[in-house]
Amino acid sequence: MSAPDLLARCLGYAPQLLDGAVTTLYLSLIAVVCGFFAGVFIHVLSASHNRLLAGFARTYVSVIRGTPMLAQLLVFYYVPTALGLPLPGVMSAAIGLSLNTAAYQSQILGAGFRSIPRGQIEAAQTFNLTRRQALWHIEIPQVVALTLPALVSEMIDVVKATAVVSVIAVTDLMRVGQQLASVSYRPLEVYTLAACYYLAITTLLSLAGRALERRIARRT
Amino acid sequence: MSIRTIVLSLAGTFMLCVALPSHSQDKDLLERIKEKKEIVIATEARYAPFESVENGKIVGYDEDLMNYVLKALPGVKVTQLDLPFQGLLPGLDAKRFDLVVSAATVTKDRVNRFAFALPVADATTGVLLRANDHSIKSPSDLNGKVVGSQVGAATLLALIAYDKKLKEEGGPGVKEIKQYVGFDEAYADLAAGRLDAVAQSVPNLGPLLKARPGVFAVLPATIGPKTYFAWAGRKDADSASLVKLFSDGIARANHDGTMKQLQMKWFGMTMDVPSDSMPTPTM
Repeated sequence: MSAPDLLARCLGYAPQLLDGAVTTLYLSLIAVVCGFFAGVFIHVLSASHNRLLAGFARTYVSVIRGTPMLAQLLVFYYVPTALGLPLPGVMSAAIGLSLNTAAYQSQILGAGFRSIPRGQIEAAQTFNLTRRQALWHIEIPQVVALTLPALVSEMIDVVKATAVVSVIAVTDLMRVGQQLASVSYRPLEVYTLAACYYLAITTLLSLAGRALERRIARRT
Repeated sequence: MSIRTIVLSLAGTFMLCVALPSHSQDKDLLERIKEKKEIVIATEARYAPFESVENGKIVGYDEDLMNYVLKALPGVKVTQLDLPFQGLLPGLDAKRFDLVVSAATVTKDRVNRFAFALPVADATTGVLLRANDHSIKSPSDLNGKVVGSQVGAATLLALIAYDKKLKEEGGPGVKEIKQYVGFDEAYADLAAGRLDAVAQSVPNLGPLLKARPGVFAVLPATIGPKTYFAWAGRKDADSASLVKLFSDGIARANHDGTMKQLQMKWFGMTMDVPSDSMPTPTM
């Protein structure tokens, strides 16, 4: 195996892998953003005084955390069809990933919410802020700043979790790797290259997270 | 939002989902495809030379043959999904797609559950070896060897049946049968020495030998009964006319020489495939 040949082959794989990487990246971004808002919602439910809502939130988190991502994706792909609502694979994947990361993010955010002094909420009430205003303007900015490292780590987990979406007909980075391995009959180099793409994505995300952390640290 | 509103809206959504499919049931699948001008095909695009992806497009023997057959449906757009083999038949069952155009071996179990169009290629199981391994000269030399195949593939069934036969003949049988998610990983393990042989359909082996010269060799003899590759539809009255349209198209390709021409193009050899009816599978 000569090095120039290897390099030429890898350059040949690059455009297709890049296509797959774009799919992986946008699926992850949709999931992380939707999952954040859903995570806040789940946290609010679990902290509510209504025992039914709090119980629902707890059950949701334990069901999602206690079952494999693969099984969840298959449920979101096949169950709607059985009910007569065939969602495209990409949409099922986006929903499944969002609902999955929502459970984890709600736990991460929960720790942040608990560390905010009770007095701040009371002060907000004194200033006639509604519960919702206090949540979005006082609590969440602090919670995000506090839990940013854990959120970035969850984001990286989501990127890696997307590697199973090909079972529901989404051609992501991993699937492109499999397709290329099948044509070239050289799985080792194709999968190594695909792993490098994943590493590039996750490195960029963690660098962006660290930059954001530093920005927040300067402001406070 | 009160709990009652949440419960009511969820119940409403559910009812809507259940109510949706009730209309348009008087027309069968083929008529609906013509009306919608779209057919949804599922393929496992990592099974060269039958189907693989080149420059982002699915190509291969099945793809060319499918395009020939689809000339009978002018103006119908093809939406082709690529997913792992294990998801193809379950997804067809769950009505995620109209037809599976991927090399699926016709077996007893599958015939009971799915409606196959006429066969497109020979699928008899061959034995792939490492070129530098001279210890296996006939199928019976697989006694005591580690052999791999793909989960859910019919060649795995052929291998298991052959292992049983070896044991009935008084041999120790295959030492271990390893199951892979895809054949590519099995080939890689064979090249790396973790396997002694791979059980794979004969038409797939030619292009592999050509792509990795000097690494692999093929045993001249085959194992297991003669089997065929075919495309699958659902086994109900709704899908019957669509499956027949594909069978007719495949028979046409068989008679006018298109099939032989495509076989030369993709496999570098031709094979006889029955053009009148699907032989009853023995496995």
